[in-house]
Amino acid sequence: MLVFDELKKNDPQLRFVALALAAGLFVLLAGLWWVQVVSAGEYKSHLETQSYRTIRMPAMRGRILDREGRVMAENTARYNLSLYLGDLSGAFQTEYNRLRPIRRVAPSQPFWKFWPSSSPAPKAGSLSKEQIASLTWQARDDVAYGVISHVSQTLGQPLTFDPKNFQRAYESSLYVPYPILQNLTPEEIARFEENYSESMGVDLEVQTTRSYPLGTTAAHVLGYVQKDDSSIEGEDSFFNYRLPDYRGVVGIEGGFDSALHGRAGEVSVMVNNQGFRQPGEDVGSEPDPGHNVVLTIDLDIQRAAEQSLAQHQGADARAAVVVMNVRTGDILAMVSSPGMDPNYFTGNLPPDEIQKESALLDDPKLRPLINRATYENYAPGSIFKPIVGLAALDNGLNPDEIYQVQPDPLDPDHGCIYLGARKIKDTVHPGDYDFKRAVAFSSNSYFIYNGLRTGIEKIVALGEKFHLGEKTGLPTRQETRGIFPSLEEVRKSDWRVGDSANICFGQGQMAVTPIQIAVAYSAIANGGNILWPRLVDRVVSQDPASGETPTIFPSGVVRDQIGVRPRSLRIVCDAMLDETQNGTGKPADVPGLSICGKTGTAQVQDETGKLIAHNYWFASFAPYESPKYAVIVMVQSESGGSGGSTCAPIAHDIYAALVEKDKSLTPSVATVNGRKRNG
Amino acid sequence: MVDPSINEHRPGLDRLQLLALAGLMVLGALFVCSATLANPASASLPWFDQMWVRQIIWYAIGIGAGAVLCFVEYHTIARWSMVIYWLTIFSLIAVLIPHVGSMRYGARRWIDLPFFQFQPSEFAKLAFILAAANFLSRPPDELRQPVIFWKTLGLMLLPFALIYKEPDLGSALVLMPTGLAMMYVAGIPKRSLMLLIGTVGVVGLLFIVDILYAPHALQIPIHPYERDRLLVYFGRDYAHFAPSGATPAELQNIHQQQLGDEYNVRQALISVGSGGLTGKGWRHGTQNALGYSPRAVAHNDFIFSVIAEEEGFVGSVIVLALYAVVLFAGLRIAGQARDRLGKLVAVGVVTLIFSHVFINIGMNIRIMPVTGVPLPLLSYGGSSVLGSLIAAGLMQNVYIHRKGY
Repeated sequence: MLVFDELKKNDPQLRFVALALAAGLFVLLAGLWWVQVVSAGEYKSHLETQSYRTIRMPAMRGRILDREGRVMAENTARYNLSLYLGDLSGAFQTEYNRLRPIRRVAPSQPFWKFWPSSSPAPKAGSLSKEQIASLTWQARDDVAYGVISHVSQTLGQPLTFDPKNFQRAYESSLYVPYPILQNLTPEEIARFEENYSESMGVDLEVQTTRSYPLGTTAAHVLGYVQKDDSSIEGEDSFFNYRLPDYRGVVGIEGGFDSALHGRAGEVSVMVNNQGFRQPGEDVGSEPDPGHNVVLTIDLDIQRAAEQSLAQHQGADARAAVVVMNVRTGDILAMVSSPGMDPNYFTGNLPPDEIQKESALLDDPKLRPLINRATYENYAPGSIFKPIVGLAALDNGLNPDEIYQVQPDPLDPDHGCIYLGARKIKDTVHPGDYDFKRAVAFSSNSYFIYNGLRTGIEKIVALGEKFHLGEKTGLPTRQETRGIFPSLEEVRKSDWRVGDSANICFGQGQMAVTPIQIAVAYSAIANGGNILWPRLVDRVVSQDPASGETPTIFPSGVVRDQIGVRPRSLRIVCDAMLDETQNGTGKPADVPGLSICGKTGTAQVQDETGKLIAHNYWFASFAPYESPKYAVIVMVQSESGGSGGSTCAPIAHDIYAALVEKDKSLTPSVATVNGRKRNG
Repeated sequence: MVDPSINEHRPGLDRLQLLALAGLMVLGALFVCSATLANPASASLPWFDQMWVRQIIWYAIGIGAGAVLCFVEYHTIARWSMVIYWLTIFSLIAVLIPHVGSMRYGARRWIDLPFFQFQPSEFAKLAFILAAANFLSRPPDELRQPVIFWKTLGLMLLPFALIYKEPDLGSALVLMPTGLAMMYVAGIPKRSLMLLIGTVGVVGLLFIVDILYAPHALQIPIHPYERDRLLVYFGRDYAHFAPSGATPAELQNIHQQQLGDEYNVRQALISVGSGGLTGKGWRHGTQNALGYSPRAVAHNDFIFSVIAEEEGFVGSVIVLALYAVVLFAGLRIAGQARDRLGKLVAVGVVTLIFSHVFINIGMNIRIMPVTGVPLPLLSYGGSSVLGSLIAAGLMQNVYIHRKGY
C-alpha cells in the first residue's frame, strides 16, 4: 500500500504509531457498524417513538335507513374554531422575549469595552428555572388570550379562555388543534371567513357528528350514541390522541354498533422536540367506514302511528305501538311514547331545547328513554283471551256451547263468577254466551270457567309455545322477557285456583311486552308460526361501488309452531273479526278491510295493591281473508277509557295508512323487481 | 521557496493528503449547511451570515494560512516555537480572566474579537507540538537524560493545566497522546514513558473512581458539568450524589437533570443509529430538523451525528476513510522527513488529529464521554478550522522539505 511504503523502512516507532492509529480507527469502524448496521432497527424505533404521535381517526359511521332507503340516522359536519398552536410557536417566543427582563450584559460585546470597569458583571438578566417556566406560560397564555379575544371581536360573540384547560391541552396534545368555539352557526362561519388571515393561527375544523334528521321519529328503534373514543376489538389499543368518536348505547345504534362503527384509522404526525406538529407526510392507515343498516321499518307507517298516537293521546302518553308483517316478521313500525330526541346525546340540539329535553328525560313517570314496546312489562288483560280460547278449543271446548253469566248481586246489570268464596266481576251483562259472543264482549266469566275446565297446565303449555316469558330476540338491547308462569310453578301446591283464574283473563302473574303480543297475534294470523321479529333487513356497504355482498337477514324465520288445530284458529279469528265488526273493537274498523281484533283493559296496581292506572290494549291483525299485518296498540293511563275507545281508533289510523301504502306500493314493487332482473 | 527543478521528478506537495483534506472540507461545508438550515432561526439569516458560508470563508482563510506556512521552512518556524508557545500560554491565561474570556455553556474558552471568537486552546495545541518537536529534536544521547523527559512533560502540563481550568477537559486530554507519541517517536527511553503512562493511568483511574464513588467531602474539585458528563458516561445514577436527606422532590429534580444531561448522548446515538446503512439523504435527517439533536451543538461538536444520520454507515465509512488517508499520509510524511524535527512535527500533528477524531466520533457512539472536542475540518468553528489547516500546512511543509531534497 502506497501509504505504508515508507513505513516498511526500519522505523519501529513510526510503525507502532501507525498500528495504534489503525487500531483506533478500527475500533471506531466497529462501533459505527454496531450502532448503524446491527442496532439500526432499535434506534429507528426510538426515533419513531420520540418524533411521531398517533391519532385515532374514527371511521365514518354507517347510516340507518328505513326499508325504502330513507335516512333515519346520518352524519353531519359541524364546524369548530380551533387554535393551531404550531402556527403560534413563533408568537409564543416573541412574547416570551418581550416579557423577559433584559440582560444588561451583552455576551458578544468585545472585552475592551468592559476593560476599564473592574466591577463584576451585573446579573440582572439571569432567571431561575421556575421563573423561566412561569414566564413561558405567561407568554403562551397572553398570546392565546390575544388571539381568542381577536376572534371574539370578529364574531361578535364572547369567548372564554380557560388557562388551566389550555395548559393541559398544551402539555398533552400540542400537535392537535386546540378548540376555542364549537358548533359554529353559518353566520359565524361567514363572519370568520370574511376576516380570515393565515397568520391568526386560528382555523375552522370540520368534525362529523351523529344526527337524526327526523328528531323523535322512531327514536326508540334507532336508540342513541354516546361519546366514546376507546378502541374496539382489532384496533390498535394505543394512540397518543383520539378524535371524538361515538359508540351506540341502545337501539339499532347499540345492537348494530359493530356494523355501523367501522374500523378507526390511524394517522401518525411528526412532532418536533417541543411537541409541535411538523409539516410532512403523515403516514397511517385509512379508517374503514362503517356499514349502513337498512331497517324493516316503514317510515310512512311509523309516522302515521306516531301522529295518530299523539293526536289521540297527546305527546306525553305512555303508550306503545307495534306494526308487524305477520308473514315475514318485519317490524314496520315500533312506537314508544313519550318520544325522545337522540340528537340530545350528540349535542346537536339548540341550547334551549337541550334543557327541555334534559328535563323530560329525567321525568320519573314518563321515562322517555324506555322503549315501551319492548322494555316494559304490561298486564295483557283480555287480549290474552284468544290464547286461552285456543287452548280450550283445542282441548274439546265446543264453541257453540252456551255459558250463562250470572248477575253480580251487588251490580245486577253486570255479571260475575264465584271461585269458592271469591267473587270476580265481569264487565259484560249477565246472559248466555257462546265463544264468539264471549270474545266479542270480552266476558271474564266465560274464559275463567272454560279456562279452568281446560286446565291451567294446558294454557301454560300453549303460552310456552307462544314463547311468552321469553325475549323475542330484537337487537335493540332494550328488551324484557315478560312474566309467564312455568309448568312447574302451576303444579306447585301454593298455586291456587285464583291464580289460574287470573291468568284466564290476562291478569295476575303474567305480563307481556307489546312486541310479544305482536308475535303472538301474528302466529294466530299466519296459521300458527311463531316468527322471529325482524327489525333489520340488511347491512350494506356505504359505498355502493364497493361490490361488497350485503348481509341480508332472512325474513319469515320460524321460531316455533303453536301446534293448534286449524279449526281452533279459524274459530278464534272469526270471533276476533266479529269483535271489530260488532263488538268492542268497532272503532278500529276501516272500510274495505276486515280486521280481527281484541280489546283489553288491565289493571295496574302499585305495591300495596291499589289501582293506579289501566293498560288499554288493542291487539289485531288484518285482513281477515289473508292476514298480512298485525297492529298492537297499548296505552297506559290513569284516566278512564277502554281498549276499544282508547286504542282502537289509533289502530284504525294505522290500518288506513297500511291500506294507502299497499295501494301506492303495488305497482312500484313490480317495476323495482323488473329492473332488478334486467340489471 | 520551492525549487521548480525538484518538482519535475517529485511533486512538491502530498497530493493524496490534500485531496482527502479537500474531501473533508467539502463534507464539512455540506453538513454544516444541512445542520444549520434545519433550524429556522439560522436558515432565515442572510446568506453571508449563514454558517456554511462562514465555514467556507474559514476554509479559505485556513488554506491561505497553511499555504503561507509552507513558504517558510519549518526549521525557521521551529526557531520561533518557544515564542509562539509562550504567546499561546499567555492567551490561555488571558482567556481565564473575566471580561477577556467570554463565558459560554459554563466554560471560558473564547476571546471575543470583533470579527471572530478566538479559541486559544486550538492554537496552544499546535504551539505545543512545535515547541515539543523543537525541544525533542536534539541528539539521541541527550534524550536519555531524565531532565529532558521532565522538561517535555512540563511543556505539556502547562497548557494542559490552563485548558483544564477553562474548563475544557477534552481539549486538555488531547495533549496527552500527542505528547506521548512525540516522546516515543523521538526516542525518550521506554522506561520513562512506561512510568508516565503508568502514572497517568493510575492518576486517571483514581480520578475517575474519586468522581464516581468518593463521598462528597473527598471529591476532587471539578466543574460540575464535567463531572456529570463522566457520570453519564459511566452510567452512574446522580441520586448517589444527592445530599443525604434529600426530599423526593429534590431527588426527582436530580433525576430530571440526569435525563437532561443524558439527552445529547441519547439523541446523538439515535441520530447515528437511525441513519442505518445508507442514511436518510442530505438535509433529510429528522433528528436535527425536529430539534431533537441539540441545535447549539449539532453543527459543531455533534456534526458527525448529522452526517451519520443523513448518509448512514456508508457516510461514516467515507469520513473515516478520508481521515485515514490524512493520517497515514501524515505518517508517511513523518517517515520521509529530512530530520527528526520534521518527523516529530508530522507525528505530533497526526496524533493530534487522530485524538480529535477518536474522541469526537467516539462520543457520538458512546464509547467516549461527551467533551467539547471538535471534529477537525468538519465541525463548524473558525479556530478549529484554522488550527486544522495550519496543522495540515505544517505537514505539507515537512513534506516539501523532505529527504533527498
